[in-house]
Amino acid sequence: MPLASLVVPAFNVEATVAETLRSLLAQSFRDFEVLVIDDGSTDRTQAVVAPFLEDSRVRYVKQANRGLAGARNRGIEEARAPYVGFCDADDLWAPDKLSRHIAHLESNPRLGLSYSGSAMIDENSRPIGINQSPALKRIDSAHILKRNPVGNGSAAVLRRAALQEIAFYPLGADRRASYFDETFRQSEDIECWLRLSLTTDWDIEGIPGHLTLYRVVGDGLSAQTERQLASWENVINKLRPLHPRFFAQHEGAARAYQYRYLARRAVSSGRGIDAMRYLRLSWAQSAEPLWAEPRKTLITWAAAGVLRMFKANPMTAVRMLSRPADLTKGKDFQ
Amino acid sequence: MTKPIVLHLLDDVTPGGVTRVVDHLMASPVLNAQAVHHRRVLNGNRLSAPAMQADIIVSHLTMSWRNLPMLISLRAKHPNAVLIHVEHSYTKSFTALNVTNRERFFTLLRTGFALFDQVVAVSRAQGNWLVTRGLVAQDRLQVIRSAVDLMGFAALPAPSGVPKVFGAIGRLHEQKGFDGLIAAFAKVDAPDIRLKVFGEGPMQATLEGLAAADPRVTLEGFRPDPVQAMAEIDALLVPSRWEAFGLVAQEALAAGRMTLVAPIDGLLDQEIDGARVVSGLGNSVWTQAITAACTVKAGPSVVNQTDMAERQKQRFQKDWSRLFGEALQKEMQPAA
Repeated sequence: MPLASLVVPAFNVEATVAETLRSLLAQSFRDFEVLVIDDGSTDRTQAVVAPFLEDSRVRYVKQANRGLAGARNRGIEEARAPYVGFCDADDLWAPDKLSRHIAHLESNPRLGLSYSGSAMIDENSRPIGINQSPALKRIDSAHILKRNPVGNGSAAVLRRAALQEIAFYPLGADRRASYFDETFRQSEDIECWLRLSLTTDWDIEGIPGHLTLYRVVGDGLSAQTERQLASWENVINKLRPLHPRFFAQHEGAARAYQYRYLARRAVSSGRGIDAMRYLRLSWAQSAEPLWAEPRKTLITWAAAGVLRMFKANPMTAVRMLSRPADLTKGKDFQ
Repeated sequence: MTKPIVLHLLDDVTPGGVTRVVDHLMASPVLNAQAVHHRRVLNGNRLSAPAMQADIIVSHLTMSWRNLPMLISLRAKHPNAVLIHVEHSYTKSFTALNVTNRERFFTLLRTGFALFDQVVAVSRAQGNWLVTRGLVAQDRLQVIRSAVDLMGFAALPAPSGVPKVFGAIGRLHEQKGFDGLIAAFAKVDAPDIRLKVFGEGPMQATLEGLAAADPRVTLEGFRPDPVQAMAEIDALLVPSRWEAFGLVAQEALAAGRMTLVAPIDGLLDQEIDGARVVSGLGNSVWTQAITAACTVKAGPSVVNQTDMAERQKQRFQKDWSRLFGEALQKEMQPAA
């Protein structure tokens, strides 16, 4: 039995899955299996994956489309190892990522989820100079709600026992186990991490380094970001009954960070009026982003203001000002 | 030969679950034949324990940094007595929702438990948690599921047909999760069902506000006789956020009531007795579960109520009697 199972949800990823698999098979820690969950792809994903099965550590499972959460759930179900990692089929892992997470998990028996920061890459797998550098220690539920330090779906390695504790069996799913909630088509990551934190006493902690190379796809349209916010609100609505007092205390600040994130997305796609609108909404929810992360918040305000006044994209200037550049521009929440 | 003395220590004697479990224990003929049982209430503010005459001291106290000095002096003043702690409070879900500094909390529990010769978990789920978190060594842990006298409940006739009157019984405190339950109940599309909430507590006003929006939901206040509350309902809902064991579910099962419980802590232990574990989290799963319960007629959760009540009583007596027996044997051994 391998020590780690790496789950690769794959839906129409013929262009990127080969590189993802190469990065996993090149891990310095070698005792693992890779589970490619083909979630009903209609492109050449299956043909691209086929040659990789020569490595006996790779397994291919095809299922009718269930969405990202459903593909990950299937992967967890198929996984045989005590540690389970996730890597989306367009992202890459740095060569020592698995070995570092295994060492982390082995050193602390109370640790349920180990994550690390990410470096953003473009469609040609080149770093775009933007990193996610989350807090690593003393991670509590409030921090997960507000800042989602796990960051994206390719950053975490979990202890199987911790996943087991958050399993549930939705009605009408043939007693099939869910770990990620398949009713979410977005925000399924944050829902899972927050549920893990609010319902179990497993520790969640990060290790230094940008060990995930996270691919940023074309810039989001306004409608998309609004949808993202709506699904985030659904997560809050789902989990609020678990601990109303906790949400009453923290969800305003968490929403303020969400709006600030939408403002940053608007800035990076040159929508100055939207950016200002989101910043006002953020400010109305809570001032916490300003005192907790003054630099990032003020830069966002300044960028949005400049953008609106001069109708020019100030991104280049802003990046120079904020070196090391940390303006997040991606499909995840920061 | 005089009978050995077992002394039970309690935080208070308000009619909560702990008091009723100790009552049940002290009323058992089997246990009374084995030893003389006394109880004593220890004020949580004292810094040291009194010196007491006992062969076995059973702590039913809630552990905290505040009463740790008292527990240390309890150990120091009774070097020859066997000390047993029954953990009635803390669980995995309690920790997840209430503890911000887990390191400090686990240190408290490890330190506190180390003062006792034996630690008793009140459910298997709680016992597993104590062991996997390294809070108690496996060989010093016993699991003895809590029990109260269920005969009065077993005498209630089981309801027939699909349940119409659902009940929630317990302290009106965020622990019990009645706020979410009332919201979930409001979404059940069935005009002829009811939800009766029994109990009192700090969430009274909040729950009254929630219940005001749905004429099917009523707050019934506290019933001194729990059998009477059970008689008024067809099915029990236990949506607790944390629960070391959940005696109320045992009572409902003994009463032949359909019993739906949240998938947490000690409530999971009761699936074997006939409770139905609601799967998943959030209000919507409760809406679904109640809807299913009042549309499809289900088989009885417990076939023979008296038999179930008797079995729980026998098991409780046997487990405690064995633990006391082992403890007395240990105490009688001459010091090496």
